[in-house]
Amino acid sequence: MPDGSGRPPRTPTFNTLAREKAFRNPPSDGSTYNILNEFVAPHLESFNALFDDSGLPSGDGDGRGLLSLALKDIGERVVFDGTGQPNSEAGATGWGNRMRIWIEQVTIARPMVPDRDRDALERRVFPAEARERLTSYRGRMNIKLCWTDIQGQTHEMLKDCGLVPIMVRSIRCNLRNMSSAELVRHHEEPEEFGGYFVINGNERLIRYLILPRRNHVISLVRPTFANRGPSYTPYAVQIRCVRPDQTSVTNSLHYLSNGSAMLRFSLRKQEYVIPIMLVLKALVGASDREIFEGIIMQDYQNTFLTDRVELLLRSFKMFTMHTGDQCLEYLGDKFRVLLNMPEDWTNAALGAWLIQKMILVHLESPRDKFRMLLYMLRKLYAVVASSCCADNPDSPQHQEVLLPGTLYGMIIKERMDEILNNIRANIRTDVRNGVPVDFNDKRYFQKVISRVNFDIGGKLSNFLATGNLVSPTGLDLQQASGFTIVAEKLNWQRYISHFRCIHRGAFFAELKTTAVRKLLPEAWGFLCPVHTPDGSPCGLLNHLSRTCRIVTAPLTVAHIPALLAAHGMTQAFAPSIDGRKNMCVQLDGRVIGWARPDLAAQLANNLRIWKTEGKHEVPLDLEIGLVPESKGGQYPGLFLFSSRSRMMRPVKYLANGRDDQVGSFEQVYMNIACTPEEIEPGISTHVEHNPTNFLSILANLTPFSDFNQSPRNIYQCQMGKQTMGTPSTALKHRTDNKLYRLQSGQSPVVRPSLHNTYAMDAFPNGTNAVVAVISYTGYDMEDAMILNKSAHERGFAYGTVYKSQIIDLKDVRGASKSSTSPTLHFGLGRDIKTQGEKAHPACEVLDFDGLPFIGTRIHPGDPLAAYINDTTGRTNFVKYKGDETAFVDEVRLLGSDAGDSELQKIQITLRITRSPVIGDKFSSRHGQKGVCSQKWPAIDMPFSESGMQPDVIINPHAFPSRMTIGMLVESMAGKAGAMHGLAQDATPFKFSEKDTAIDYFGEQLLAAGYNYYGNEPMYSGITGQEFAADIYLGVVYYQRLRHMVLDKFQVRTTGPVDPVTRQPVKGRKRAGGIRFGEMERDALIAHGTSFLLQDRLMNCSDYSTAWVCRTCGSLISLGYEDISLGEVAAGASGLIKPTGPGGEYCRTCRAAAEEEEERERQALATGQALQRPQRDVRVAISSQNVLGRASKGGDLDVVAVPYVFRYLCAELASMGIAVSLEVR
Amino acid sequence: MSQQQGGQGAGAGAPSGTNLYGAPQKDMEYICADCGAKNEIKPREPIRCRECGHRIMYKKRTKRMVQFEAR
Repeated sequence: MPDGSGRPPRTPTFNTLAREKAFRNPPSDGSTYNILNEFVAPHLESFNALFDDSGLPSGDGDGRGLLSLALKDIGERVVFDGTGQPNSEAGATGWGNRMRIWIEQVTIARPMVPDRDRDALERRVFPAEARERLTSYRGRMNIKLCWTDIQGQTHEMLKDCGLVPIMVRSIRCNLRNMSSAELVRHHEEPEEFGGYFVINGNERLIRYLILPRRNHVISLVRPTFANRGPSYTPYAVQIRCVRPDQTSVTNSLHYLSNGSAMLRFSLRKQEYVIPIMLVLKALVGASDREIFEGIIMQDYQNTFLTDRVELLLRSFKMFTMHTGDQCLEYLGDKFRVLLNMPEDWTNAALGAWLIQKMILVHLESPRDKFRMLLYMLRKLYAVVASSCCADNPDSPQHQEVLLPGTLYGMIIKERMDEILNNIRANIRTDVRNGVPVDFNDKRYFQKVISRVNFDIGGKLSNFLATGNLVSPTGLDLQQASGFTIVAEKLNWQRYISHFRCIHRGAFFAELKTTAVRKLLPEAWGFLCPVHTPDGSPCGLLNHLSRTCRIVTAPLTVAHIPALLAAHGMTQAFAPSIDGRKNMCVQLDGRVIGWARPDLAAQLANNLRIWKTEGKHEVPLDLEIGLVPESKGGQYPGLFLFSSRSRMMRPVKYLANGRDDQVGSFEQVYMNIACTPEEIEPGISTHVEHNPTNFLSILANLTPFSDFNQSPRNIYQCQMGKQTMGTPSTALKHRTDNKLYRLQSGQSPVVRPSLHNTYAMDAFPNGTNAVVAVISYTGYDMEDAMILNKSAHERGFAYGTVYKSQIIDLKDVRGASKSSTSPTLHFGLGRDIKTQGEKAHPACEVLDFDGLPFIGTRIHPGDPLAAYINDTTGRTNFVKYKGDETAFVDEVRLLGSDAGDSELQKIQITLRITRSPVIGDKFSSRHGQKGVCSQKWPAIDMPFSESGMQPDVIINPHAFPSRMTIGMLVESMAGKAGAMHGLAQDATPFKFSEKDTAIDYFGEQLLAAGYNYYGNEPMYSGITGQEFAADIYLGVVYYQRLRHMVLDKFQVRTTGPVDPVTRQPVKGRKRAGGIRFGEMERDALIAHGTSFLLQDRLMNCSDYSTAWVCRTCGSLISLGYEDISLGEVAAGASGLIKPTGPGGEYCRTCRAAAEEEEERERQALATGQALQRPQRDVRVAISSQNVLGRASKGGDLDVVAVPYVFRYLCAELASMGIAVSLEVR
Repeated sequence: MSQQQGGQGAGAGAPSGTNLYGAPQKDMEYICADCGAKNEIKPREPIRCRECGHRIMYKKRTKRMVQFEAR
C-alpha cells in the first residue's frame, strides 16, 4: 500500500509496455496467452480423436481414431446375385454368388487448393481465405471401398466423398501448431485458438450438449412410463451405452406390475421391447437357477425379491424356450427383416448380432452383458422396493457432455453406413428387376456406385450451416436441430463464451416444468451458477466453470480390475457373493467385482492416492465414485469411470497435498473446502485451488462480484457480452456481417487478476470514467446517465459499426446460369458518361471498374457497384440500402476456388460512425445499465475541490434497491488506483469482515489526499456554490452496449398503411408505427385526455369518413346518382328518386321504399287492404330509424369512423349480420 | 473541388474517354491479399495474383481527394 514515504521502485501494474511489445512482436514460439488454447481443448481434441494420428494417448486401445473404429463397427454388407439353385434355405430363386462390400479406410485431407489451379505457389488454404472469400474451410475426404467378386478376390476403389469442413487449428488444419507470429502472418488473431468451422465465411461451432452419463445405470421413476402399455409401472432403470467409436445406444429396463421386466431399445427411431428373460437366456444360455442366484445373491430372506424373481422366471414359461440357442433363434427370426444382414445368416447368428449391436453395446463379452443386466435388475427391484431412491437425471452427477468431434464422427459413421446400405439396396433392386448382374464385371459395380450418393462433405456442410441433423437413426439424441451456433465476434467476451457454453437440449426448452433449469449443488465447480442468460434459456444454457475440463483422451485402465482384486476385491465370477453385504464394483459400466463397504472405501482411498501420486499407473483422470450405503439413498457401489466426455476439475487432495482431478459423479460424496481456512480436520478431503474456480470466465471478470447482489452479476454476464468492444485485432481480414468496435477502449483500473490471464487487455471492452453519484439536473433520473459533453468530444465511448455487403453477380437478376461465360460483368458500360459536364452521378462514388472508391462516403440510395449486362448492353447499379451514411472501408474482389474465373463476387466493408448520442445504452460492470439522457456542457457540470469534473453522472437511486456494493467499491478502488497509478486487484473473496475493502481502499484514498470514504465536496457548475452534501466521486469502468437508438428509433406521423385495414403497418424496417395498445389506451382514458386519444387512435391511424344512412343506419349500402347535370333521376317507373345533395342515396332503403310503393299501388289497384308481411325476427330499432322512412333512402350523413370499422361492417354483412348505426 | 480529381487525371491517360466503348478500358491496379503485390487486372480477366496465385484482391485506396465537411 503506498504511503508516500520511502517507496521502493514501483513495478508497473498495468504492463502497458510489455503488452505493447508482445503485440508488436508476437512470439515466434507458441502463444502469449496459453490459457486460451487450453479452454477450447475439448473442441479440438474431440475433433482430433477422429483420426488415427490424433496425437492423443492411445489408452487401452491401439490408438486408432474414431473413424477407423466406426468402420470396424459398420462391418461389411453382403449381397447375392440371385443366380443360385433354389433350395429349402435359399428360397425360390436361391442366393447365388456372394459379394461382400466394406469400407477399408477413410481419409480426410487438409484444406488444399484444387489441382486445377496451377499458379498458386501456396498450395495450402488457410482459414483467413475461407473467411474473406465467404467460402467454407474444407478438406477432401476419400474412402477406400472394397468388394469381393465371385472368386472371392478383393477389389478396391478410392472414392471421393466431397469436401468436409475442417475444424480450425485441429490436426487437419493448416494452422496447427503455429506460433503467434506465424498466425499473424496468415491474417489470424495472434491468440487464435480455433475450435470452430468456417462455413460460407461464418465461424460456426458445435455447441456442447448435456447427455446422460454413459455406461452408468440410473433409476427413474416417471409416471409417464405407466402409460406405455398394460401392466407397465412408473419404475425403470436406464443406461446409455457407448461403443468405442463413441456412438451410443440407450437401453431401458421397465418394471412390470407382474414382477417381470422388459428391455427397451430403439432401432432406426423405432422402439422395441423384449422380455428381459429372453435376453438373459440368449446371452449365456443361463439356466433359471443361475438367473435366480444371480439376482437374489444369497438374500433368500428377502421375500420381496424372491417373489418377484419367481414371477419373472415363471412368466417366461409361456415362451417355451429353454436353451439360449432357442432364444437367439427366436430373436433372429423376429428381427430378420429389420436388420438388413446377409440372407444366408442363420436366425441364431442374427439374434447374436442383434444382442451384440443393440444391447449393452459398451460391453464386448456376453458374460459381461449378462452380469450387467443382473445388476440392472437388482437395482430395478431395489427402486421398486424403495430401498434406494430414484436418480435425478437433471443432476450433473449423472451427466456428461456431447463433444463436437464425437457428434461429427457419429454423423460421418452414419453416412458411411448409409453408403454401404445404398450400394446393397441398389444391387438387390437390380437382382429383383432382372437386370443382368455380374459380380465379376467391374463396370457393373461402377454403374451401381454411380447411382449412390457419396457426398458426405455436403451433408456435413449442411449440418454445420443449419445445425439440423438429418439422420435415419437419430443418433440416440433427443433433438434433431440446434446443434450448431455462430461464434459471433461481437466482442471478445462474447466470443470466448461461445466455446464454453453448454446446452441442456432443445427438448427441455419447451418443457413446462422448471425442474431441469434448477441450479443444483452438484453443479458446483462444473457449471457456473452466475453465467446463464435470463429469460427463456435460463438454466438450460449454462457455461462451464473456469477450471472445468472435459476429458478427451482415452485412459489406460485395463489393469485396474487386477489391481483391485489384488487388494481384496472379490472377482465378478466368484460363485457365491452375499448381495446384502457386498457392494458392486464397476469400471465403465462393467461389473469387475464385489467388495464389502469398508473394503470399497479402502479401495477408493487407495485408488485416489495412487492416481494423485501416479502409482500403479492409475490415470489422474480416473473418476472414483464411491456411493456409500444409506437408507433409501442412492444405490450403493464403487463406480469407476475412465471414459471420455466427462467433466472434471482440479482440486487439491489434502491427504498428500497433490493435485487431484474430481469428476461430477464423485464430487457429490466428497468434502471439498472452498478455502484453506475452511478445512475441517477429518472431514474435508480436498480444498479448492482458488475460491473463484466455480465461476465461469465472464463471471470471474466482474470486479468485486462478491459484494454484489447475485442477480446483478448475472446481468453483468449478459451485458458484458453485449458490449461494444474490440472484437478482433485482425479486423482488416474479417468479413462478418456486422462488427461493433469501440475506438477508445481502455484497460480497466480495477480488474480481477484473471483479466490479465485471459488476455482481456488485448481486447478492451470499455472506458474508465469519472463517475459522480448525484442528482443534479433532472435528466439524471433513475437508470439514466448524463454524459459530460467535453468527455464525449474527447472521444469517450466513440464507436464504429462495420457492415459487410456481398454482391454476387450470380444471384443478380439477368445472370446466366453457366459459370464459365457469365453475362454480367462489374464495370461501367458505354452508356455511362464518366467525365465532362454530363458525367453520370454514379461516377462520384464508382471507379471505372464499377466498384466504389475506398474512403468515399455513401448515402442511402447511392450506388455501391455497377455491372454491365451483356445481353441488354446496359449498365445497372446495386444500391446501398441502409438508412445511415457510411464510408467504404474495404473492397474485396473475390476469385473462384481455383482462381480461374473473372470477377463475379465482391465484398464491401462499410464503416458507419457511431458517436454516442442521447438514447445510447451504457453500463458499469455491475449490472447497472442506463441510457444517456443528455450530453451536459462541461461548464455546467459540477466540479470537485481539485477541479475534477465527472465524465458521467448517475442517480443515487441506482443503488439502494439493487445493492451493487461492488460498484461502490470499484469507484473507490478506481479513484485510488488512478491517483497512485496502480492496477487494482478486484478478485472476489479477497477481503473479509476483519480486513474490509473499505479500509483498504479508504487508506489509499487518504494517502492520495482524498476523503477516506470516497466522497468529496463538490460545487455546482451553474452557481459555483458548494453542495450541501458531499458527493460520491470515483472512477468506474463503463461499457457501451451495442443497443443504440440509431438502430431502434421508430417514429412516424404518416407512412405506409396496411391495404386492408388502412392502419399503420408494423415493423421498424417498413417504416411502420409502434403499437398504441389497450393498456396505453386505458392510460389515456384514465387521464381524461380524450383529444390525445382521438388523435392517436383515429386521426393518426385509419381516419376515414363514410356515408351512413339515417334511416337504416347502414354504412355499406351507399349508392350514387349522377346529378351533375341537374337531371332528376327517374327509374323505370318514372318516379323521382330521392337522393342527398351529392346524389348519394341508401340502396337498401330506396329498394325497400320502391317495393312498398309498388305494393301500395297494387293494393290501390286491386282494392285490397294492404297486408304487411309478418317478419319472423323482431329487433328493437330506435324510433328515429322508423320515423325517417319518409325520406325513402335519400337521408344520408357523413360520419368520421375508423376505416377498420367499415371493413368490419362489410365482413359482418358477408356473414348475414347487418350493423346499424344510430345517427343523432 | 472534392469531385473528379483523380477521375480527370485518369481520363487524360486514356484516349480522353472517346473510345468506341464509351467506358474507358483502363486496367485497374489491385493489391493481393496474400503477398501484397500490385496486380493489374483488366476487366474480364480472372482474379488471381500474378506473383503468388492468390484468389483475393483488395481495391487500392483512391488517389482522389477525399474531403468531407467536419461538422
